[in-house]
Amino acid sequence: MLRLVLGRLLFMVPAGLLVVTFLFGLFHFIPGDPALLLAGDNAPAEVVEGIREAYGFDRPLLVQYATYMAKVLRGDLGVSNYSREPVASLIFPRVLNTAQLAFWSTGLAMIVSLILGCTSAMFWGTKIDKVVTVVALLGICTPVFVSGLFAIFVFSVHFGLLPTGGLASWRGFILPVITLGAFEAAVLTRMVRSTMVDALGQGYIQTARAKGVAEIAVVFKHALPNALLPIITLFGLGFGATLGGSVVTETIFTWPGLGRMMVDSILTRDLPVTQGALLLFALMFIAVNLIVDVLYAYVDPRITYD
Amino acid sequence: MDRLLPFIALGLLLTGCNATQPQDVASTNPTPDGEPQYGGELIYAMAAETYSLFPGRQPSSTAHDAWLYAMEGLVEINEDNEIIPWLATAWEISDDGRKTTFTLRERVAFHDGTPFNAEAVAFVFNEALAKNFIYVHMLEGLEEVTVDDAFTVTFHFEKPFAALLSNLSHRSMVIFSPRAYRENGEEWMATNLVGTGPFIQDEQVRGEYLKFLKNDDYWQQGKPYLDRVTIRIVPDMSIRSAMLEAGEADRTVLINDFDIPRLRADPRINVRVIPSTRQYYVVLNHTVAPLDNPVVRRAFNYAMDKEGIVQSVFAGTGAFLSKAPVLSEGVVAFTDMRRPGEKTIFAYDPDRARELLGSAGFVDRDGDGVVEDGDGSPLRLSLWSPRASAKSDDKVAQLVQSMLSEVGVAVEIRFWENSAFGSATNLGPEDAQYEMALLSWGIPTADPDEPMMMMTYSKAWKPIGANRMFYASEEVDRLTLLAHHEVDPALRKEYVRLWTEELLEDAPIIFLPTLALNLGTRSYVHGDRILAIDQYPARFAWIDRAEMERQGVRR
Repeated sequence: MLRLVLGRLLFMVPAGLLVVTFLFGLFHFIPGDPALLLAGDNAPAEVVEGIREAYGFDRPLLVQYATYMAKVLRGDLGVSNYSREPVASLIFPRVLNTAQLAFWSTGLAMIVSLILGCTSAMFWGTKIDKVVTVVALLGICTPVFVSGLFAIFVFSVHFGLLPTGGLASWRGFILPVITLGAFEAAVLTRMVRSTMVDALGQGYIQTARAKGVAEIAVVFKHALPNALLPIITLFGLGFGATLGGSVVTETIFTWPGLGRMMVDSILTRDLPVTQGALLLFALMFIAVNLIVDVLYAYVDPRITYD
Repeated sequence: MDRLLPFIALGLLLTGCNATQPQDVASTNPTPDGEPQYGGELIYAMAAETYSLFPGRQPSSTAHDAWLYAMEGLVEINEDNEIIPWLATAWEISDDGRKTTFTLRERVAFHDGTPFNAEAVAFVFNEALAKNFIYVHMLEGLEEVTVDDAFTVTFHFEKPFAALLSNLSHRSMVIFSPRAYRENGEEWMATNLVGTGPFIQDEQVRGEYLKFLKNDDYWQQGKPYLDRVTIRIVPDMSIRSAMLEAGEADRTVLINDFDIPRLRADPRINVRVIPSTRQYYVVLNHTVAPLDNPVVRRAFNYAMDKEGIVQSVFAGTGAFLSKAPVLSEGVVAFTDMRRPGEKTIFAYDPDRARELLGSAGFVDRDGDGVVEDGDGSPLRLSLWSPRASAKSDDKVAQLVQSMLSEVGVAVEIRFWENSAFGSATNLGPEDAQYEMALLSWGIPTADPDEPMMMMTYSKAWKPIGANRMFYASEEVDRLTLLAHHEVDPALRKEYVRLWTEELLEDAPIIFLPTLALNLGTRSYVHGDRILAIDQYPARFAWIDRAEMERQGVRR
């Protein structure tokens, strides 16, 4: 186990460097000039030239790359082209914001999907199952910007019950967490249902039922632990994805998170910020995967990493 | 997010908003301002991130709008496009036009307690020259700023520079505290505003909000009225409208054109719409035949149904018909250049367009709907347009395409990602690949000098300037230089008028409508303003607390 953890942590270093290098290359191959964007449409050439010089865009690519890498290895992510602030201090509060949203919405999605998915599987083929399946399908088919805007117009504008979003108070969390959580829950419910239906069809379930175990106990004691492995993987992936920032949710609910910052920085060709955010994103994904792998060992006694 | 906007607009359209409203007459002040009341907090939902707050490195007008609360310049521009004294009380231009001497206001202090004086003003501008601040090109030919006495400074120029006063009114040329700058450096200034304004910066959380507190020692006695101003960053258009309706924000800008009728129907909300200084235009590459022919270019201009564009793309409120080439009403030295009885320059006349094309030798000889030249080769052109823009460029491009095809010109559109489009239209005459390109030109300084020197001047061809047409006209160049160095406003206005006349004759571009600006305010807020230069000052606004209470807004 220790070897796995240490190995994965070590793996973060080359993975991070690879991500940064790849992105650096990509940014210089896609069209679009950061100096031009900074100077504006109608700026004279001398202004653009001045920006290139001041920001070092005019230096050879390899020199730019080496300078940047040397800084990254020392833990310095550089400064944003736009705000001239250190990237680390720009990203850090955003990561916290995104993590809060991801934590609550994924948590909500996990609970809801486990309950709905298991119920659906228990009553497989009945009306309850059909209702859950249809509701989940509707949830998947409703994009967050539709349900989010709808929720805002109903609860904030019409009834004035909740703020339109923002981190100022816990009440601002309610709409974004529910909107994003409901969407995730819809996706996860279907997965939980199908793995549970699978598990409930196994021989040991038949045995448990035959010896007269109550249906609740059959589902939660016998079937669920066996179905948990793929479910944990899915939850991990879901959490990882929301950690990367949900651009749409963040925009609609005025949530200053990582996703919005990443998109803004790509559109403005703010390379240091994009790189910092993506680097962090990669590291977080590796970490989430690691946690999932560790959980495997706890859930399934057959799995050992030694 | 911008890609979502059409969907959101569509959604609102389906829920019963009427998209076609008659074009509104610009109204700047809908409510009588009455007797001001003191106290309260104003919440302003702003559209975009402010990025750096340091004036020397910040080109974005959003940041400029935030600075309005804490920072002030020597002069300001008012709603009637007049340059008015602010931190400078008077100025005098020397006979040779090369020196401008400003008398400064006394008993003004920066937020850090240091006095505002000639030393401070000279320091800011000399530092700008030395450190090549982003606005230095707007002070063309400035050699140095000298201190004459404690409250008098002189700007020394190489040559007379007519746009000095309007450029000094540009928000980036605010005077920051030299001590704060010297002690903390540029990077610190990126998140801290230390000026002379009516509000003092309190707290900033990037991407979320920016807070200001009342400056009790402000130099204008009895002002400001508000205790606090909070700017919240809300990138989504529909959410900004929702916040205004829910009373979570007191005012907001950049309202979706399709939301305006709904907000207007609400008696608690005032929506003001005025023309900006930004006009859409289609660049015609004059190195490509037949775009080098002014007759063809005029035909293209007559083929544009500008009213159709305003009504369909901009829901009747998002754009105004242009009254002069390049310049809008909000620009200094503007003259209305419409023909008597016409609503816009080059009023829509497709028959005239066909006639002009015919006289240039382009006639549909084989009846396929596309005109051909004398050798029988059809007139086909490409039009480039950015796609990732909230300003509906892509839809304007599609209308341009269909209107040109009406008169027999086949147009193929190529859509670009915004930044890539910027690079592709930043090339010199040998490398430029476009035949036509859709752009807009905004004038943040509200002075005609920039478009004259940068857009139509023959020495400003891309990539040196921003003349993407590769247009050259001796008369235009002559008038440009005359206006550039003429310090007498009346004479200069006449040169500018003659320049626009030349543009109407030569039609170097296709002139399209002027983008509108809007501001939505709860009716209990009084005394806030909207300016054509994309600024929305609410420094001296006040809140009618009883009315606010009556509308059920409690904080």
